[in-house]
Amino acid sequence: MLKIENLTVKYGVIPAVHNANLEVREGQIVALLGANGAGKTTILKTIMGILKPAEGNIYYQGESINFFSPPQRVKMGITLVPEGRGIFNRLSVEENLFLGAYHRSDKEEVEKDLNRIYTLFPRLQERKEQIAGTLSGGEQQMLALGRGLMSRPLLILLDEPSLGLAPLLVRELYSFIANIRKEGVTILLVEQNATMALKVCDYVYLLETGVVKVQGIAEEVWSREDVKKVYLGG
Amino acid sequence: MFSLGYLLQQTMNGVVLGCIYALLALGMTVVYGILRLINFAHGALITLGAFFTYFILVRLGIPLVATIFLVLGFGGLMGLVLDIVAYRKLRGGPEVALLITSLGFYTFIENFMKMVVSPQPYAFKAPSYLTTIFRTSFLTFRTIDLFIIGASIAIMWCFHLFIKKTKMGIAMRAIAENLEVASIMGIEINRVISVAFVLGSALAAFTGFMWGAKYGQISYDMGFLTGVKAFVAVVVGGVGSVPGAMVGGVILGLAEILSTAFLPTYFSEYRDGIVFAILILVLLVRPSGIMGVKEEVRV
Repeated sequence: MLKIENLTVKYGVIPAVHNANLEVREGQIVALLGANGAGKTTILKTIMGILKPAEGNIYYQGESINFFSPPQRVKMGITLVPEGRGIFNRLSVEENLFLGAYHRSDKEEVEKDLNRIYTLFPRLQERKEQIAGTLSGGEQQMLALGRGLMSRPLLILLDEPSLGLAPLLVRELYSFIANIRKEGVTILLVEQNATMALKVCDYVYLLETGVVKVQGIAEEVWSREDVKKVYLGG
Repeated sequence: MFSLGYLLQQTMNGVVLGCIYALLALGMTVVYGILRLINFAHGALITLGAFFTYFILVRLGIPLVATIFLVLGFGGLMGLVLDIVAYRKLRGGPEVALLITSLGFYTFIENFMKMVVSPQPYAFKAPSYLTTIFRTSFLTFRTIDLFIIGASIAIMWCFHLFIKKTKMGIAMRAIAENLEVASIMGIEINRVISVAFVLGSALAAFTGFMWGAKYGQISYDMGFLTGVKAFVAVVVGGVGSVPGAMVGGVILGLAEILSTAFLPTYFSEYRDGIVFAILILVLLVRPSGIMGVKEEVRV
């Protein structure tokens, strides 16, 4: 579904990602793990079109999307749930959700999806008129996810969804992520905290200072002692 | 001493001027909210709108309703041209480049107008149905005063609904808060920015018309100080806040007129200075303006 070939992304002259090759197959959850500054967010932003690759190609459903703008990519079914949630603090909860479906013109279906999100997250419905900046951290994360789903994505890019959440909420979040996959959405997941991510994902890439160091099926990577020591904190 | 009638009369004059500032401030605050650009060229649209209406309404005698639509359309078109020609290529560069360009564009239009219409002020003889005088026991006013107040309230109400309820309005607020995230929602940033310029410039051209009809005189440089004062209204009301721009405009208009009306006459020459004194006072007490939100630190 998504194939990244020899991707190099630079901030000025400094490469943030160097010669990375990645593949995400339809229906999979793929995790992109690594320490802070390893280049995970950079890869997601490049897939979304916010950053431009210095070299390499990104293929989505067999087509090179290098020259597509972010809105065009949204229309093709790619959605990014940004790090730190990136919700619009000064807009209401419902306006945030509505913006997720900005590119869609099927009003009735949007209304249906809105109700579906409210059924999934009853807290959001209770607070739909509230300004999003006043929500708790967990609620904001739910809102960011809900907003991502409002675009009816085929591929959803999740950037550190568990950041700043209490352990109980993290578990809830991950059971929800597993549910999204069941509905047929492909997921590329970026995490610094690897333990939860490894439990749900099919395939893993470990990134270190912009280079893919290790890759493999989740269980295999999980069982490698050297990987555990270096990347997963023992 | 001053009578109640005098106070009422001056208040009304202040509200009329305030409405003009408020309409200008609306367009400025929307553009500022999205691009962080103090759009000096906004002032040029006042001048252009004023002369445009002078030629079609006063010279050619086109009916009022048609004039209103034409001047709005003309202003909107100029805004679109300005956006595409002057600003679009500069986005993503340093904000100061936009600022200098807008100042440059203002200067260009001012000089262009000086060349085309001459440096002499023009008498704007509004049609008699706009200058009919009404006298009541307290107030004396003309049709144009009622027109300005009525049109301004209607425009502000429409603008409020537009920003709050429409898809485009929500997109504008989203871009103002976080441009990058707005773009990954699928919002076509350039289109929304163009709409902001078109709306703001249409309003600015319209205020040029109101200014001419109300004060009876227009000149090639009329837009500068008016534009700057409109920006003061934006800051006083709270940068980026649409209700703030309206409140700021009306406060500024009232303060300007009432200070000249009630201070000893030798102060009246300094009414522009008084406007800026108010700005400084408001900012000392409320640095983010009357209805402003604190700017978040952007990473």
